[in-house]
Amino acid sequence: MNAAAYFLMIDMESEARAIARGLRRRDPQLLDRLIEQYQHRLLRYLLYLAGNRELAEDLFQETWLRVLERGHQYDGGHEFVTWLYAIARNLTIDYLRKKRPVSLDGLMEDEEHTPAEPADTQPLAWEIVAQHEQAERISAALVGIPADYRETVVLRFQEGLALDEIATVTGAPVGTVKSRLYRGLNMLMSRLKGAQA
Amino acid sequence: MTRDTHDEARELITLGDALSDAQQIWLRHHLEECVSCRDYAEGAAQMVRALRSLSVVADARLVRTTQMRVRFHAARLRETRERMWLVGMACLGVGLTATLTLPLLWRLFAWMGEQAGVSTLVWQAGFLFFFIAPALVVSVVLLARGNHVNSHGQGSRQW
Repeated sequence: MNAAAYFLMIDMESEARAIARGLRRRDPQLLDRLIEQYQHRLLRYLLYLAGNRELAEDLFQETWLRVLERGHQYDGGHEFVTWLYAIARNLTIDYLRKKRPVSLDGLMEDEEHTPAEPADTQPLAWEIVAQHEQAERISAALVGIPADYRETVVLRFQEGLALDEIATVTGAPVGTVKSRLYRGLNMLMSRLKGAQA
Repeated sequence: MTRDTHDEARELITLGDALSDAQQIWLRHHLEECVSCRDYAEGAAQMVRALRSLSVVADARLVRTTQMRVRFHAARLRETRERMWLVGMACLGVGLTATLTLPLLWRLFAWMGEQAGVSTLVWQAGFLFFFIAPALVVSVVLLARGNHVNSHGQGSRQW
């Protein structure tokens, strides 16, 4: 490990510990800063997880309230964003279970509950990405793949999480994460090829 | 070359930078020989680049609303914690006082019973009543206050 990487790691660890201390104190200024810092990443993750912008925004707010309530559970041992995504994910699953008794795994077999095509029923979710034709096609292809695969692809390639971090967030073994990544990317590529044909 | 080898290579391609040195060397060697896997790697790289180019932006209103809700909720949690601390301290004080005064009160009631010429059972019943009466009164008051707060709270939340 070179010196820069070492100091970066030390810096990240001390930041995680500082966040953990602040969360235990329920420091409002720290929470304000975290909300601003992770706003786009968290919303993007929730948007692709829930497939609906309005719901994603509700879950965004609920996630931060949950962070406030359960902040003492974050020990600073790993990156804050991993813990944040795990909370967001659990809230989304809880919401989907209450709405309909299915889990994210259930969504895989449930074609009817696959997040809707953006152009038809959920235009709001895609207003932002619809500016470019390519972005639109990719987004459409992304919501078309099963939720577990979509989540893994988004966490890896958009959020830049490591495989073990994705495993922590999703509660799946690293081997499963790898296979979801492979299959998810394949599905995405074949869907895009199909759309282009 | 078997189909498994290609599958393995493609799986490694999707893992990106999460490969060990040995895996990287093997993959590089395989890609030098296999055109279809090289095409796959190119397609996957394009796909990843395209995924990273997608932008989702949270608007300022959402951030402000969330910050406000979090601050409000934090204030409520702090108030609840302070109240619970006060209740805890009050319970501790009452418990200590009761423990210290119990023998004295017992002797006082025994003496008063003796002076009044009543049976042991009667002054002991009087002692018991005297001992639990404050707790009963406080419980009734708290219950009444709780009901009042609930109905008041529901009324004010209707806006």
